[in-house]
Amino acid sequence: MDIILQLTFAGIGVGSIYALVALGLVLIYRATNVVNFAQGDFPMMGAFILVVCLLSAGLPYWLSILLSLAGMVVFGAAFNLGVYYPLRNRSYLPVLISTLGASILVQNIILAFYGPQPANLPALLPFRGFQIGSVFLDPQYIVIIGVSALLVVLQYLFFEKTLLGKKLQATSQDKEMAGLLGIPVKRMIMLTFVYSALLGGIAGILVAPIIYFSITMGNAIALKAFAATIIGGFGDIRGAIIGGIGLGLIETFGAAYISVPYKDGFAFVVLFAFLMLLPQGIFGEKIAEKA
Amino acid sequence: MPLLELRNVRVSYGRVEALSGISLMVEEGEIVALLGANGAGKSTTLRTISGMMAPTSGEVVFAGQRISGLGPEKIVRLGLSHVAEGRRIFPGLTVRDNIMLGASNRRATRRELNADVEEMFALFPDIRPFADTLCWKLSGGQLQMAAVARGLTARPKLLLLDEPSLGLAPLIIQKVFEVIREIQRRGTTVLLVEQNANMALSVADRGYVLETGLLKLSGKASDLAASDEIRAAYLGGRAA
Repeated sequence: MDIILQLTFAGIGVGSIYALVALGLVLIYRATNVVNFAQGDFPMMGAFILVVCLLSAGLPYWLSILLSLAGMVVFGAAFNLGVYYPLRNRSYLPVLISTLGASILVQNIILAFYGPQPANLPALLPFRGFQIGSVFLDPQYIVIIGVSALLVVLQYLFFEKTLLGKKLQATSQDKEMAGLLGIPVKRMIMLTFVYSALLGGIAGILVAPIIYFSITMGNAIALKAFAATIIGGFGDIRGAIIGGIGLGLIETFGAAYISVPYKDGFAFVVLFAFLMLLPQGIFGEKIAEKA
Repeated sequence: MPLLELRNVRVSYGRVEALSGISLMVEEGEIVALLGANGAGKSTTLRTISGMMAPTSGEVVFAGQRISGLGPEKIVRLGLSHVAEGRRIFPGLTVRDNIMLGASNRRATRRELNADVEEMFALFPDIRPFADTLCWKLSGGQLQMAAVARGLTARPKLLLLDEPSLGLAPLIIQKVFEVIREIQRRGTTVLLVEQNANMALSVADRGYVLETGLLKLSGKASDLAASDEIRAAYLGGRAA
């Protein structure tokens, strides 16, 4: 029983990271109809800025996090202007290739100037965690779960309760009509990219102390996030959250009970199963919403 | 000075010319009907006025200002609201939110917005019970009411209505046209595109008839309704 609780705790922690990145993926998809292949570079970038500030420049942890968040706002805006905006009136394919190119470019720029070495970040909280019964709670996982839950609640309130959130929803449902009503569509899409980058950056900041920073750390996260969105139902916000956490749990339990080396494989076995048996995912795509 | 004037406007979709030089005007306070068969260019005319399409030549002048080429976001801020073909209600938002977003063309406080929405529910009592329902659950008539309400929330000087009767039951069509008269009484000018020419001419002051991208006829609504040519071509009546 204790081992199950322990694994559930870890699984939700890892799954929260996938969920945050998947949320960003879904938001960009809904606003632009394009799957962003550079989504994994958002967490990598967030973690990278943290590494540079904290380890290379020796700044305090809180300041490094603030700088990383600020950096992600700039990165998200630059990503929109450089990768999406020039191609916005083309079909999805040129934009998709453009995001793929951006991913390769960003990783190689960091490789050229920083080098390939991975970095080990210290945990956010300095204490060692504590025991409840026989379950050990790692403070970094508590932070991950807490911050992710808070973000999900804030995002829900923002989209459902504020006028700006509703304008963003309207833009993602019918861009042309939104413009016809006077909603500044370009600004809404800019906001979506910035927020999505910020979500990814936060995921990177949270996960880096657990998995080491490396230039390619985002690739695996992005693949899992993508799988999470398909399992949850592509384009669905609840689906991204449920799919992400579900995937984290499957992976953690699979590693514990079946095989550690095949840990990354379980996510994709589940993905295949969903694609074969339930391709619309848990929540399905609400056709009516797209009509 | 007319509120809206089109001067020799030409519009193309790729190589296909949809409007081959249209000139028309709408005076303040009028209801003007734009009639014609499918594919005559009625919707294209409205799309060009509201900035969704740019004319290849000619110009659109609204309230003394040249608006062709400005783009829809700027044009709607000048007080020109377009209730587009197919209603285009945001399906994943509630009726209240849809109507509220109609005011995106101007600055308004939350209190003003709530008052505007209430005013619309007074004008369209039939959709009040669905205020907090997501719009994909609504019927065609309810969607049309919501779309017109959303267009009016922009507080336009000129309201463009594209086929408000399309796909609606006769009783609902009656209601929609009563509302169009009420909109005029409240001081909003209306340019109405319709295939239901009888209905349109019954509320309109003047009318224009489009045929494959050119204006064929224009005149007072009562004259158009009585003309044999119109009856034969568009009203389903027999030519004398």
